[in-house]
Amino acid sequence: MNRQANWIRYATVGASLLAGAIVWEVAGHLTSGAFWAPLSATLKSLADLARTGVLLRQGANSFELYVTGLAIAIAVGAPFGLLLARLPWLRVALEDYIMVLYATPMVALIPFILSIMGFGFAPKVLVVFLFAVFPVLYNTIEGARSIRPELVEVAHSFRSSEWQLWRDVMIPYTLSFTMTGIRQAIARGLVGMVVAEFFLSPSGLGQMIMTGSQNFDTAGMLAAIFVIVLLGVGLMDFGRFIEKRFAAWRGYSP
Amino acid sequence: MAGIQPVSQSSALALPIGADSRSVWFASPLVLKVVAGMALLALWEIVVRSLAPAYVARPSGIVRVFFSVMQDAQFLAAAGATLWAVVEGLFISLAAGIATGFLMGRVKVIEYGLRYYVNSLFATPMVAILPLVSLWFGYSGDARLAVVVFASFFSVTINACDGARSVPPEYLEVAQSFRARRLSTFLDIVLPSSLPYLLAGARLAAGRALIGAVVAEFFLSIPGLGYYILYNSRIFKHNEAFVAVILLIATGVGFEALLKWLTRRYMPWARRG
Repeated sequence: MNRQANWIRYATVGASLLAGAIVWEVAGHLTSGAFWAPLSATLKSLADLARTGVLLRQGANSFELYVTGLAIAIAVGAPFGLLLARLPWLRVALEDYIMVLYATPMVALIPFILSIMGFGFAPKVLVVFLFAVFPVLYNTIEGARSIRPELVEVAHSFRSSEWQLWRDVMIPYTLSFTMTGIRQAIARGLVGMVVAEFFLSPSGLGQMIMTGSQNFDTAGMLAAIFVIVLLGVGLMDFGRFIEKRFAAWRGYSP
Repeated sequence: MAGIQPVSQSSALALPIGADSRSVWFASPLVLKVVAGMALLALWEIVVRSLAPAYVARPSGIVRVFFSVMQDAQFLAAAGATLWAVVEGLFISLAAGIATGFLMGRVKVIEYGLRYYVNSLFATPMVAILPLVSLWFGYSGDARLAVVVFASFFSVTINACDGARSVPPEYLEVAQSFRARRLSTFLDIVLPSSLPYLLAGARLAAGRALIGAVVAEFFLSIPGLGYYILYNSRIFKHNEAFVAVILLIATGVGFEALLKWLTRRYMPWARRG
């Protein structure tokens, strides 16, 4: 029974992927070249981009931007969230504003960033940072709010020092929530990266899509989009993995 | 599993850490929040005045232009166009996404067939397909609508699928024993028990739809709030442009608050978002 169910599953998945590939190919041949390119042409274009080193260079460019922005966001968001966890009055004062910023569509700030900071690496990092920092901060605070007061009281009763309180209660307790935030930040940061590469100085994978579209090189554009889709899927799986890894002691599955 | 955040509904001060008398020395949370807000605005004002060029948006400048912008016909038209596109796109996404998601959740073969596509397109930053959409729909409102739908459809679908799968099998068995019709099974069991998931999906979708609309307007230069921001910031009218940002923030936060209220009012048992 189980083996048969598995067999049906693999057959369906295989058939649907094959059907998708055929539709992609046929649609490319039926429509004008400016609208859609066949799968074969896209893969050929991808192979060319990989062989000439363009893909590697532009990919590394994007990666540098993404990782820098994300790292700064985590390095700022997580400690600041923990600080707010330790200082209830500061948290009460700021948490509503942080929630508003969490819900703010950060893309709307890009024209300001462009006009104030101009072109260059720093404004693009700022965009990725703004996209990624608030999920980390927001979730860390949510975790901090759910720390059971008994834990802190017990720690105090046993005269634990400030550092011990952080090391043994605050950080372990909020870490799994921070990881949820990092999972969201990983996804949002990728959006920030592409947006920054589109609307600030063009670079990386975003520039590859733009160049493809401007030159009516649809196959090249689809190849770049394809890489971004793969990147998105890989990063999302990675995010889920680290979230699960740290969710073990949260007490319930997220 | 996407879009689910741990949200505790406790009021801000219900579970303070180290709730001893020393750490809560202030009068009331509200006073504290207002003071903090004014401090943040003052900080913004001072930093911009002393460090940034004169055209950069600052609170006093925004207040000065706020009412004239809010009465400007061009601004109102832009706001209407953007928000209407978001609402329209969200409705399309919700209808199509719930239908697709429920089918995926209840019919195994459909799930196996679509899962990879839905998951990978959900993970794709929708910005990446903007040039493609502009090729298909031209530089028009249709392209913006397409981006909004593409941005929001997959979060609705994934959550609807999770919701449909979360229906307790015993309920369905009971319904079957009583020979309930398919439609009533759907309306009375599947739909209500997956509502919390649908709300989580709608919440996520709304945020993405708003971003999609703004990005589309940047890229396509069609009238709307995004283009209003882009245009005014290019001619160094940052204060005016920021009024549009405030409207966007208010829309996002307002929708979030509406969903929270709906959940609390009509689904007090729902623990999700």
